[in-house]
Amino acid sequence: MRLEKASVPTRRAFSERLVEYGEINKDFVVFESDIGYSTYSYLFGEKYPARYFNFGIAEVSTMAAAAGVATSGRTVVVSGYGVFLTMRALEVVRSFICYPNLNVKILSSHGGVTAAIDGVTHQATEDVAFMSTIPNMKVLAPCDPVSASAMVDLAISTPGPVFTRLMRDALFEVYSDNTGFKIGGSNVLREGSDVTIAAYADMVFQALEAADRLQAQGISAEVIDMYSVKPFDEDSLRLSIEKTGALLVVENHQKRNGLGYMISNWLIKQRKNILFDNIGLDDTFAESGKYQLVIHKYGLDADAIEERTKKLLKDKE
Amino acid sequence: MNDIEDKISFLKEKAKEMRFHILSMIYKAQSGHPGGSLSATDIVTALYFDVLNIRPDAPDWPDRDRFVLSKGHACPVWYAALALRGYFPLHVLDTLRQLESPLQGHPVQKKCPGIDATTGSLGIGFPQAVGMAIEGKLIDKKDYSVFCVLGDGELQEGSVWEACNAAHKYGLDNLVAIVDKNGLQNDGFTRDVMPMEPIEEKFRAFGWHVMEIDGHKMEEILPALYEARAYRGKPVCIIARTVKGRGVSFMENIRGWHGKPPSTEEYQQAIQEIKEGLK
Repeated sequence: MRLEKASVPTRRAFSERLVEYGEINKDFVVFESDIGYSTYSYLFGEKYPARYFNFGIAEVSTMAAAAGVATSGRTVVVSGYGVFLTMRALEVVRSFICYPNLNVKILSSHGGVTAAIDGVTHQATEDVAFMSTIPNMKVLAPCDPVSASAMVDLAISTPGPVFTRLMRDALFEVYSDNTGFKIGGSNVLREGSDVTIAAYADMVFQALEAADRLQAQGISAEVIDMYSVKPFDEDSLRLSIEKTGALLVVENHQKRNGLGYMISNWLIKQRKNILFDNIGLDDTFAESGKYQLVIHKYGLDADAIEERTKKLLKDKE
Repeated sequence: MNDIEDKISFLKEKAKEMRFHILSMIYKAQSGHPGGSLSATDIVTALYFDVLNIRPDAPDWPDRDRFVLSKGHACPVWYAALALRGYFPLHVLDTLRQLESPLQGHPVQKKCPGIDATTGSLGIGFPQAVGMAIEGKLIDKKDYSVFCVLGDGELQEGSVWEACNAAHKYGLDNLVAIVDKNGLQNDGFTRDVMPMEPIEEKFRAFGWHVMEIDGHKMEEILPALYEARAYRGKPVCIIARTVKGRGVSFMENIRGWHGKPPSTEEYQQAIQEIKEGLK
């Protein structure tokens, strides 16, 4: 697989697809809280001013107003930064959107430490835990512009609340085709026999990079894009670990209560005697800095994946 | 007697029935919020038995007026109105706060016919009502109005004022906020816990058209609601001066009756006083 640096970040790819999708589906509306130029939701507002509502710097009432519109059955896409939409407006998301199971789609940008340079106040490193915990909520996390645009169609066409986690920086092009995505799905991007590396969002690229390096050292890693974080694809994961016997889950998120915790809980119930490890923020806040440097410092990049995979496989011997 | 006088005497009788059912369901459940339900009773009665354009046999009729009780803890007043209007049988009121009941401790959309919005944490119903008014006026372009009852203590939530801004920005003249100003909240008088006066000036400063009425006088409630519905150009706020626990002498204006059920003796005295009607 050849990866090329993506021309646009997933947040932009998502919003560009939102504009296209607005032609296909003329019923949904987009709500913004004053960061439309950062999430690129302003593109939708330019094309469809009557379907775009900017509530100013007011995430709680923006989310509640989205619930109000959605009580009619209409779909509302709420755009914003992950930290604010998942924490400041968390109660509204839980009690007034997920509880009545309304068609509100949260377009959450700046997931994980990808807002690295802005520091902790802007890094959404617990968002997956919060969103996954709430009943009725589905959680999607695309890894590149093509899958991000696929998530637009998927989120809007799926009934009930959907949280889509997007990234600040331009990532890499992994997919060439925006079909083959579903709620509860995953994609094996690279087949292997020694270890399974399950990753989502920007960590998919890091995992592929690490798999390349491991290959050169004679280790065959299978890389799965777990773009559907909740529900996650149990069947594909089961098939893969039955083959490899070792699993490393990689996420740009706190380890605690992230996908790794969900999968480890599932593994215990499966009674699979396999080797397991999880990469993520280890009960720590990150800090300001360039994205690449931050993910390196906190052990989230290909270097860390390579090292931890080798350590995991040593236990196999 | 002319038409409006007939309506007013009819509504006064209905309000008695409403109060009776509020007290009864809370007494039977031995749980619930009587004080704020009784302060909002006359307003909610006027809405459900005269003003709202609704079809109880078709709760989801798309053109219906919307009602949101943002002070969701006062839901016994909402449940009583829905039952008396025929959304569900009266005996369902006996299941308040019980397992399997549509009458959850705080109101929930989809679990109970006629409940258009989930409410219960303060300051969230109102921005939902703003969303409904946006849907009606700007997205779906229908003629319905959205009526939202808020508590005066609830105004302390910042999201209320965010929503006030949005309603003004979007010119939501299909939205009517009614502040049930009973002056009491869980911890005491609002003037002590967190004074919010002057409420009228605050709403005016946020670009709203404001009216003030006695929230227990049908003679003032009904014309105000008519005027609010007809008003164009701005969202309308009706500040209704009320008394918490209104209609039951020993509950009136007493902090302790925010969220406490009556004992058997108290209940019997309460329904006796309710029969006699508001003085």
